[in-house]
Amino acid sequence: MSWDQLLWYAAVAAACWVAGAVAAYRAKRPWGAVAVSLCGSAVFLAFIIGMWVSLERPPMRTMGETRLWYSFFLSVAGVAVYARWRYKWILSFSSVMSIVFVCINLFKPEIHNKSLMPALQSVWFVPHVIVYMFSYALLGAVTLFALYLWLRSSRREPSDDEMGLCDNLVRIGWAFLSLGMVMGALWAKQAWGDYWTWDPKETWAAATWLGYLLYLHLRAVRPKDSNAAFAIIVFSFLLLQMCWYGINYLPAAQGVSIHTY
Amino acid sequence: MTFEWGYKRAFLRCALLFVVGTTLQLAVGDIDSSLLHYPWGLILAVNYLYLLVVAYAMRNRWRWLRQLGDDKACLSSLAAFGAIVIVFGLTRQDPAREGLVGALGFSRMTSSWPFNLLLFYFMTTLGIRTVSDIHHLRDRRMAAVLTHLGVFVLLVAGTFGSGDTVRCMVTTRVGTPVSIGRDDAGHEVRLPFALTLDDFSIEEYPPKLYLLDTRRESSSREFLSVEADGAEAVIGDWRIRAEHSLDMAGRLPEESDWRAMKHVGAAPAVYASAENTVTGEKFSGWVSCGSHIFEPSYLMLDDGMAVAMPRREAKRYLSRVNIMEEGGIRRDVEIEVNHPARVGSWRVYQVGYDTSKGRWSDTSVLECICDPWYGAAHLALWMLLAAGVVMFVTAGGRRIGVRKTDDGMPDAAGGAAACGTDMDGVKEKHVRGGAAVRRRGGRKEVKL
Repeated sequence: MSWDQLLWYAAVAAACWVAGAVAAYRAKRPWGAVAVSLCGSAVFLAFIIGMWVSLERPPMRTMGETRLWYSFFLSVAGVAVYARWRYKWILSFSSVMSIVFVCINLFKPEIHNKSLMPALQSVWFVPHVIVYMFSYALLGAVTLFALYLWLRSSRREPSDDEMGLCDNLVRIGWAFLSLGMVMGALWAKQAWGDYWTWDPKETWAAATWLGYLLYLHLRAVRPKDSNAAFAIIVFSFLLLQMCWYGINYLPAAQGVSIHTY
Repeated sequence: MTFEWGYKRAFLRCALLFVVGTTLQLAVGDIDSSLLHYPWGLILAVNYLYLLVVAYAMRNRWRWLRQLGDDKACLSSLAAFGAIVIVFGLTRQDPAREGLVGALGFSRMTSSWPFNLLLFYFMTTLGIRTVSDIHHLRDRRMAAVLTHLGVFVLLVAGTFGSGDTVRCMVTTRVGTPVSIGRDDAGHEVRLPFALTLDDFSIEEYPPKLYLLDTRRESSSREFLSVEADGAEAVIGDWRIRAEHSLDMAGRLPEESDWRAMKHVGAAPAVYASAENTVTGEKFSGWVSCGSHIFEPSYLMLDDGMAVAMPRREAKRYLSRVNIMEEGGIRRDVEIEVNHPARVGSWRVYQVGYDTSKGRWSDTSVLECICDPWYGAAHLALWMLLAAGVVMFVTAGGRRIGVRKTDDGMPDAAGGAAACGTDMDGVKEKHVRGGAAVRRRGGRKEVKL
């Protein structure tokens, strides 16, 4: 498997995702849309696994490789939310987002090689990246949902069910964010002897974690303040972007982060 | 502005803490975390925990104690700490930086007063909340309790144990015992054990060939990985082929060809050919990254282009070390990245080697770290891992999950539970459909 074949796998996956999104609106029963969308995710996962085999290491080292996982988990998160809560539009949103990230990889191809520096050869590497990417995907999905609720043309107040979905997605996303951070800390202790060094990546991860934690506490004490809740979701997602790839461009982080990739 | 206790006043308290921190920073400079070392760090930690329990126990007697750990204090301290962490992320950390940012301590954030005061306030509100969790353990959600407790223990260990960690670098050479390391400041650190490097080995990735533009001093992004003879790749306008490769090679001073050589300093060498895909020009010759004994070789092409081989990347490196502990007990260990050796409360990490000699390095750089708070921090992290799993497993269930909150503290991690209290201990329990149950002194009334 090589990066050149991404186009074909991505085309099939995207077609399935789009077909699933359309089926969510057209079909009376949800399972057809779920099955078709999952087929797309399975095809995309097949490409990721193929890369894993051919590179002889987990495809999680470069930014482009993490984007592969993000696209995959975003599509899975969309299907999970649709299957659980029957929001028809979520498949459209998750599909578009997944395809956007696939397109970034297609238009900005990277050079891949088999090298994996010794520090990355840890049992924590794969779970650390996977839970983070899953968390990012969920928090991306809830950001889209929050923006929809906040800015929709009807200006209708969000219902308890809608806020409940936001809460659940943030809670699961935050739980995975915590898992990712803790795994990273345990790994860092094993590799370098420090749990936490306030490296720019870690600092922004802490800011992101605190942002979503603020949302959870705000919802607990001011449940009717939906505007503040939506604002925190959107702001926290911006912090997440900074943590994920923003530090690669942030002047304060240039040349000092060991997490730049 | 009203001076009733509310969110405005809670945030004002955080702002005042920031101002006090800034003033202290300007007046006395950075905090020296090394002052908090054993036994004073531990004594202070125990007293701090005792005071938190007292503060919680006395919360109904003094209002200010109650306001130290209620929902407004929790939320504002969390937001304030989040804000200063963002400032931390936006500021380049450089101890030597001067100017306003340096004077305020933002460029040395972890030792600055504003950061540490807000962190301490956050830790205190979290600590009181954690005591409350333990007091009402049966009524609280497991994920919330584990999260609060885990984060609190981590912060306490990180704060009061910050001066207890001892770390030093030890450069070991094959066959020479070492029992003294050097810390960051260059001071000698006497170790309670001696390390003798028996052997150091490196496993490397296959050599890679890049196209160099010697006039622009730039290298191609693409490369040819020489995993076997006959490997080829097109880089730019050139088709490069590895005709024959030698894992260990050398050359005599008067010769240009590399030959197989099993000797200290041997380097990988590849006999490569390059064909211009536009003009059809062909070149061939030896390419090697060289070593500390042999000079590197390049295959020169036309127009200032050349084929070059950078030093091979290390796949793993491993030190076989003999450790002699106090009492003369000896044992052999293998140390590599991600696999430190443990010697009592010390851990020995593989850090580096003599990169100029590469695979022929007879030197291994190890880092010895003594962290007495290792157990507490590890326990807290595993609690947080458990909290994350519990939170994920229990998510999506009950949307309403108010737990007992007679101390006025939110149960956020528990779910979309909506629970708020005023400072008199009135608590609201929001339920689906907008109804709220309001309790005061045991009486219950339902608002619709």
